Amino acid sequence: MNCGEVTYLTPLYITGELDARRSAEFDAHLKSCPACLAELERQARLDARLREVVFAEESNAIRVDRRVRELIAAEAATGALPQMRPRPRRWVKPALGIAAAALLVIAAGYQTLLGTRVARVYADAAFDHYLEIVQHGPRPWLTDPAQIAALAEQQGIARSAVTALASRGYHLDRGKLCFLDGRIFLHLVFSDGAQEFSVYLRRRDARPLPGPAREIANGMPLCTSDIKGEHVASVESSTLLAVVVTDKSSDAALNFARFASAVL
Amino acid sequence: MPHSRSLLRVARRITSNIPAAEDLVQEALLRAWRSFDHFEPGTNARAWLFRIMFNAFYAQGRKVRSSPVLVPLDDPVAQSEVKSSSGPSWTDSAALARALDALSNEHRTVLTLGIVEGFTCREMAEILSVPIGTVMSRLSRARHALRERLAPADSEFGHSRSSAACAEREAS
Repeated sequence: MNCGEVTYLTPLYITGELDARRSAEFDAHLKSCPACLAELERQARLDARLREVVFAEESNAIRVDRRVRELIAAEAATGALPQMRPRPRRWVKPALGIAAAALLVIAAGYQTLLGTRVARVYADAAFDHYLEIVQHGPRPWLTDPAQIAALAEQQGIARSAVTALASRGYHLDRGKLCFLDGRIFLHLVFSDGAQEFSVYLRRRDARPLPGPAREIANGMPLCTSDIKGEHVASVESSTLLAVVVTDKSSDAALNFARFASAVL
Repeated sequence: MPHSRSLLRVARRITSNIPAAEDLVQEALLRAWRSFDHFEPGTNARAWLFRIMFNAFYAQGRKVRSSPVLVPLDDPVAQSEVKSSSGPSWTDSAALARALDALSNEHRTVLTLGIVEGFTCREMAEILSVPIGTVMSRLSRARHALRERLAPADSEFGHSRSSAACAEREAS
């Protein structure tokens, strides 16, 4: 590898995108070329300085977040936003082309024939769980159980509910507030040692959790939805709404919801 | 909102305008929320959000087109830089930020995405919808342009690896 190739490949070297062979050749060149090595070091210093300067700039992400949440809440309240739409399956297109009559029928009943509409609150919960738990979104969480319990009480949720959920092998890991379908929920993250579960809690109000009950557990309706790899189960007690999300399996979500119905 | 701070940093660079950057990030997050069913689980959510933001930027017909950085005539720092023969030092934060802002939009974009936000060349290629080779060459040219603006004669930071030195080594 010569100096020209090193210059060209430097962006890939810095980001670790060179394959093993070329990375070894790059390293070998640096060992034998003080000029290229010095250049790379200067570049690394400038990169670090640039990051420092840009990261130090003030930005009002909180204001933007608030505006986005308000817009989402407003649009959701007016029903202007579309529901989560299942994408047409590939085999449907030829079928549509074969019979015009079938086209009309399928087009008319598209949403119900090809998939189930998903309520906004469940779609929001799945999206939130994916971005903040699966993708580890950089969010401030409360990890002190006493602080989490205090936050729950502020939302009208009894401390005992939080404590009860952290039992039978489920450990409370962290908590914060979030918006689902334009309403504030307490987002708690539990772990069973192998998997994390998001549990979105809210004091029951005039709007019940939507969807037909999959089963009745301990006298409470349990609903389930699978949304893009996230498994959602909900339970509604006399005082609380709880939405459980996990990326493990629909059974795992349902089992947590059954457990919640027993302790809430 | 996850990644909003990171989106804002990049939006600020491509719009050169803080209110426009906030509007762009707001638009991007709303689009992401509305089209979550188009997101493929297991893929990079952060890169997906950035691609949505750049699509929103392009879709606006660059209504928020970046404007050149205006330097007030009574800005003593700027004036001293103009008069200086060696250019601003890269250790000066304000000078470094101004040098970055004075680059072309393409150069600012790749520097911010690649160096500040830590995207790989492959991710940047997807976000910007350009070939990876284009990203690599833009990044190299952007680094060169930034250093030219900062300190052409700075021994700490300038181009001490002259093409002559390399050519000499290549020949030997």
